[in-house]
Amino acid sequence: MDEKLLLKAVVLAGEIMLSSGAEVSRVENTMQFMLRRSNCEVTEAVVLATGLFVTMADPGGEPMTFSKRIPARSTNINRICRVNEVSRQFCHMELTVEEAYEELKRIQKEILYKPWMKLAGIIGISVSFIFIYGGNFLDLSTSVLVGICMAAADRFTKILRLNDFSTTAFCGFVVAFSAMLIQELCPFKVSGDVMIMSAIMYLVPGIPFTTAARDTINGDYAAGSARMLECIVVALAVAVGVGFGMVCFRTLWGGTL
Amino acid sequence: MMILQILSAFSAVLVFTMILEIPKKYMLYASASGAVGWWAYLMVQNSGHSSMLAAFLSTLVVAFLSHILARVKKAPVTVFLITGTLPAVPGAAIYRSVYYFLQNDSALATKNLLETIQIAGAIAMGIFTMDSLFRLVLAYDRKKAEKG
Repeated sequence: MDEKLLLKAVVLAGEIMLSSGAEVSRVENTMQFMLRRSNCEVTEAVVLATGLFVTMADPGGEPMTFSKRIPARSTNINRICRVNEVSRQFCHMELTVEEAYEELKRIQKEILYKPWMKLAGIIGISVSFIFIYGGNFLDLSTSVLVGICMAAADRFTKILRLNDFSTTAFCGFVVAFSAMLIQELCPFKVSGDVMIMSAIMYLVPGIPFTTAARDTINGDYAAGSARMLECIVVALAVAVGVGFGMVCFRTLWGGTL
Repeated sequence: MMILQILSAFSAVLVFTMILEIPKKYMLYASASGAVGWWAYLMVQNSGHSSMLAAFLSTLVVAFLSHILARVKKAPVTVFLITGTLPAVPGAAIYRSVYYFLQNDSALATKNLLETIQIAGAIAMGIFTMDSLFRLVLAYDRKKAEKG
């Protein structure tokens, strides 16, 4: 058994899971299960919200430690599920270390849905919530335009690689501005409010919030509070972006809020 | 109207599954979880209760369903939990508090801000409760297995 490669594989598995938005306890459990196949006496995996550490130590040899910083996190359920499968097969001796490492490398690059499907998804979200917030079919048709603007803004911020706050605030700005512009330009009466509320459902931090709650109940308070803070920052960004967009539009166009 | 809302919740979560990269085999179950969650939310709200209680009870239903689905489909609980709670996320309350804040109506702005925090707290409480209950069930199962 190549201990060095095992260490690399374990760190890679943890890295993929954590950057895909898995709960900390799930990441730690997966890494610890994989470490059980090593011959070392002491193995330890510590996972924080923004990084992870693995140590393997043998009384006879030098201890090995590997730390990895995880700067960016997004949600990718497919990668979490796939790493889970690989670690399960690895623990049941169905995979060697080399095979597991190769498979993990493949998972790291795996993308299920094409970029255009994700853009269509963003538009779909801004359309889908219209009825939930009390809109009608007219709002539904114009919200497609708001969705397109938001998808374009989202794409643009991805290219610029801005931080969480700027990304969300910029998208919120574009949503508010475009929705109010459409409300003024459309010859029929459409509700800008409903279009904004529906579109920002893509921006509000519902998913990190759920993960934060689960981290907290699992006793991983460091990760729980880090994620909770992330939610607050993103929610504030939505508020700032939307508010700024509305004020800007009214200053340029005239009329009252 | 209620059918339309539930269908909306279903389609909203369905398009969200593409953004979250949820594998195709879980797509429909995740969307169903969202639709059931929103159905529960509406049922509680229509019987005259606050949106906080609606969020709490609908999260309980969603979390229960997620734990069952996760065991049946052998998938992480998160898959069905994050998608199920999505429609209840207080996006509208955040928007309204900004809106009233810009209108200098601090009473309504505070009310909506408070509602945002209440709904978020209710969702967290719902997840806490059901996770703890299932942990008890698991502990009981393990005890029984050890006794043989």
